Amino acid sequence: MLLSLLSRRTLEVDSRDSYGFTLRPQHIQRYREYTNIYEEEEEERSHKWKIFLERQAQSSQPIYSEEEHKETVQARDTESKAKTVSENSWESDDSSGEKSESDGSTECTTEKEVQLPGELQKEVQPSEKPEKKLQLSECKKELQLSGEPKKDEQLSGESNKEVQPSEETAKEVQHLEDPQKEVQPSEQFDKQQQLPEEPVKELQLSVELEKEVQHSENPEKKLQLSEHHEKDLQLSGEPKKDVQLSGESNKKLQPSEKPEKEVQHLEDRQKEVHPSEQFDKQQQLPEEPVKELQLSEDPVKRVQLITEAEKEGIFSKETVKVQSWGQIRLSLGSIETMMSFRVKKTNNMDDEQISVSENHLPSINESGSSGRETEEEFEEEARVSETTDDPTRDPRVDSATGDDVSVEPFFPWKEELECLVRGGVPKDLRGEVWQAFVGVKARRMETYYQELLAEETDAGGNKEHSNSSGVPKKWKKQIEKDIPRTFPGHPALDENGRDSLRRLLLAYARHNPSVGYCQAMNFFAGILLLLMPEENAFWALVGIIDDYFEGYYTEEMIESQVDQLVFEDLMRERFPKLVNHLDYLGVQVAWISGPWFLSIFVNMLPWESVLRIWDVLLFEGNRVMLFRTALALMELYGPALVTTKDAGDAINLLQSLAGSTFDSSQLVLTACMGYLAVTEARLQELREKHRPAVLVVVEERSKRGRVWKDSKGLASKLYSFKHDPGPLVDETEIIKGGDAPSDGDNSHLGPPSSNLDDLLGGLTTDSEVESLPDLQEQVVWLKVELCRLLQERRSATLRAEDLETAFVELVKQDNRRQLSARIEQLEQEVADLKQALADKKEQESAMLQVLMRVEQEQRITEDARRSAEQVAATQKYAVHVLEEKYEKAMALVAQMEKKVVMAESTLEATLQYQSGQNKALSSPRSIQNQGSSVESPRKRTGLLPFALGWRDRNK
Amino acid sequence: MGCSSSLPDRRSGRLGGLNNVENSGAPDSKNIRVKLVLLGDSGVGKSCIVLRFVRGQFDPTSKVTVGASFLSQTIALQDSTTVKFEIWDTAGQERYAALAPLYYRGAGVAVIVYDITSPESFNKAQYWVKELQKHGSPDIVMALVGNKADLWTNREVPTQDGIDYAENNGMFFIETSAKTADNINQLFEEIAKRLPRPSSS
Repeated sequence: MLLSLLSRRTLEVDSRDSYGFTLRPQHIQRYREYTNIYEEEEEERSHKWKIFLERQAQSSQPIYSEEEHKETVQARDTESKAKTVSENSWESDDSSGEKSESDGSTECTTEKEVQLPGELQKEVQPSEKPEKKLQLSECKKELQLSGEPKKDEQLSGESNKEVQPSEETAKEVQHLEDPQKEVQPSEQFDKQQQLPEEPVKELQLSVELEKEVQHSENPEKKLQLSEHHEKDLQLSGEPKKDVQLSGESNKKLQPSEKPEKEVQHLEDRQKEVHPSEQFDKQQQLPEEPVKELQLSEDPVKRVQLITEAEKEGIFSKETVKVQSWGQIRLSLGSIETMMSFRVKKTNNMDDEQISVSENHLPSINESGSSGRETEEEFEEEARVSETTDDPTRDPRVDSATGDDVSVEPFFPWKEELECLVRGGVPKDLRGEVWQAFVGVKARRMETYYQELLAEETDAGGNKEHSNSSGVPKKWKKQIEKDIPRTFPGHPALDENGRDSLRRLLLAYARHNPSVGYCQAMNFFAGILLLLMPEENAFWALVGIIDDYFEGYYTEEMIESQVDQLVFEDLMRERFPKLVNHLDYLGVQVAWISGPWFLSIFVNMLPWESVLRIWDVLLFEGNRVMLFRTALALMELYGPALVTTKDAGDAINLLQSLAGSTFDSSQLVLTACMGYLAVTEARLQELREKHRPAVLVVVEERSKRGRVWKDSKGLASKLYSFKHDPGPLVDETEIIKGGDAPSDGDNSHLGPPSSNLDDLLGGLTTDSEVESLPDLQEQVVWLKVELCRLLQERRSATLRAEDLETAFVELVKQDNRRQLSARIEQLEQEVADLKQALADKKEQESAMLQVLMRVEQEQRITEDARRSAEQVAATQKYAVHVLEEKYEKAMALVAQMEKKVVMAESTLEATLQYQSGQNKALSSPRSIQNQGSSVESPRKRTGLLPFALGWRDRNK
Repeated sequence: MGCSSSLPDRRSGRLGGLNNVENSGAPDSKNIRVKLVLLGDSGVGKSCIVLRFVRGQFDPTSKVTVGASFLSQTIALQDSTTVKFEIWDTAGQERYAALAPLYYRGAGVAVIVYDITSPESFNKAQYWVKELQKHGSPDIVMALVGNKADLWTNREVPTQDGIDYAENNGMFFIETSAKTADNINQLFEEIAKRLPRPSSS
């Protein structure tokens, strides 16, 4: 069991590519073959990008600095601090004794924080974002306003009515009303100064109040504000006990207790309490003074309630934790700027307000107003006070739009970038480059994502309000179902990864209810999350779904259906043979291309290819790349498809071939270079042509009318009829517009799913036909009409032929363009090769030089060898000569020996002779001679062995 | 069931394909080719049923189907006819229903799947039955499948409900489990048996 688990694991590890995605077992081998190529390509492109980005960095000053990022971080810090401060002040305020009752762990941290209230206030003001500043000042103003009248009131007695007109909104009046009633006790308390700690706490609270206002991420800031006022009130309520002690009247006590309870209510229900409700409660409360008293006497309970509410509510960990927004590197700033112009442009066309809210980059003031705008946009409840404030802000906003629309600079390096993108984006840059392409920064609205999440958690936690906000249940359920089915087993999609995915999808569903959640988005969100921080991924997803794929993933999926018809058109145009074959097999192109388009090739192609396609798609900012890639796939695999003999085989083959398109460069280049004629303009034209048909079907489908089937059948029959429908339809429309005004507008408004459909529609639904009373007249008229139509048809076919020839011409031209592109490519290749050749030659010459040097050296050594040989030879010769001499010498020696022997024998003979004579003579002189003669042979014999020994040694 | 187990897919698949094309349009009674479409709520296990049938595998964490996916499998019946199923597995989410006609048009078999632990998916199955009765081919063979039978402890749709509904609508009913492979082959064999045989002339 364990073993099998283990083996499966290792198998799983083996079968993942470098992005961590599973590979199909049949593709592992091919993937391995391609990994080296991928690595080489990656190296090359990261080098190219590096150069490009360095150049960019040099040529253009970075436009955005880190400042903004810092700001957000600071804001976050201060927010959390403010939160803790507030908690603590609640506790300390209620009663110092009860502190120990509440959560010990939070206390430790909060106590530290509380020491900083003064500092915090200082810090917050510069670091906060302007939008918050605005609110802050507003809040201060309100405080002042509400404070001042109080005093007046106290002095002048009851004067509610005087104050009301000075206020701008009912809500604020509401705030005011409470303080008014409470002023007295607090004033008294101030005068009394019985508790020296209290004023300090009040200071803390005021700090907290400001913080809280900044902290508020919920659009309904006003309400929050009001709450905080009430908190304030509660504080001022504290002294009321003193008041009570000092013998004040019950009448004054009642209102002073009231806000305490109110705060409880508010805290419990969080921010979504409707002002009116709030008010009602206020009204009711005074009638139950006893209860209130009890409540006020039970501060422990209250503290608990409040802390609970805080834990569950908007300040939940999630909101704080989720703020994951990262800037992209500065070197991509210029790309970002270029792309953000695209964002603004499209948005300006769509909705001016959005563009306004998205122009928060240039100046701080603007971003302040933009924040406001978004809040308003998504605010569901009307906030009267906001609208009264708006006139002061509007002019600024307007000027901001004016500024941004006017300038759209030219980027000379765009083409270079395009080439680079087609070559692929390096892995480590991809996340950021994609963000730059989609214009994440330009799309981003501060705090918007957090607000979406906060509303979501809010709606989830508080079931009372789930009807007003929150993602519809069906999407939530679907998301829950799909999260574990999104790249199952991918290492990055662990518990945290899935949580981010969930948040992202829920936030998107909230952001755009017209799309909500559609299967496939889970994959997109997953990819984006693998490449960038959560909030960035959210904005990228927003860009892709709301902008690039607008209308694609909505409930009716209209655009995706339209695109399928467009693609089929293009297929018929480009690969008539293939489409004929598929028709023969009964295979519809859309069966296969539909899933391709809807998933943007995710899970359909190998990952490297998917990402390369996304590179180009996100760069271009439209769906052209989808079409080009699909056409390229058909080009690559069409020849194989033509050989298939039944539908199943064809589809299987295409699926498996597409799934093993590991040569991503070939695919992307074929797509980009081979289908230059497939442009956004052309696609738009074709979409316009096909959209009405889809709309009709969708409409009738929703009506569930029986007509659907028939009309669809007719439409599809007619559809298969026309092989070159584009120009034809235009033509017939022109003809109709020109020749048949009697048709009226019906034909144009009717469902022009095809040209013939149109004609028939014009024929049958013609109002003139119905208006004619007499049947015979009708017949006559119809005959005439028929003739006219036949004529028209004839002329139409003629013109169609003309157009066809023109079209063929166009195609030729297009081919020429394609060819020229190819030629360019080839030329470049040739140039590259030449360069390579030159390099090789240089290398060769260098090698030759080296060789020559080596040869020279060799020669020298040869010479040396030769001379050495000569020397050796001479030495040998010398030896030889010496030997000869030696032999001669030896011969001489031998001769000499012989002579010696002879001499000896003669000597002996003479000696004998002499002795004979001496004996005869026997004289002393002869004895002397004898002695000397004896000595001399001894000498000779001594010499002889020596000579012999020498000779032996020489031998 | 009285049916032999499915043959190794490749050999018989190729044979069937060839035969069909040779007889183009008029397939003989021995080799039948049929388009089958799987419909049903998201997450009921459509893809798992197909994977179990075609590859004999079960993956508890299978991927979300986007659009549709295609697989084919050939089985041989006892009377030595082979049936090649060309299976279109569709996406379950409601809005993808807009694309479903593309896939069920011209289909000879529709397998409508629900999850026996989810009454909602049973409702959705009934929606699909109605949709097909209106817009599908008139002689389409429909099967109602209650999947995830292994989770019978959490059953929320009684078997009898499925049987009754299927009977009232002239469908074939079976409860399966892609996880345990229970009744998966039987499902397809039973469908194969019910296919209208082209008259051998």
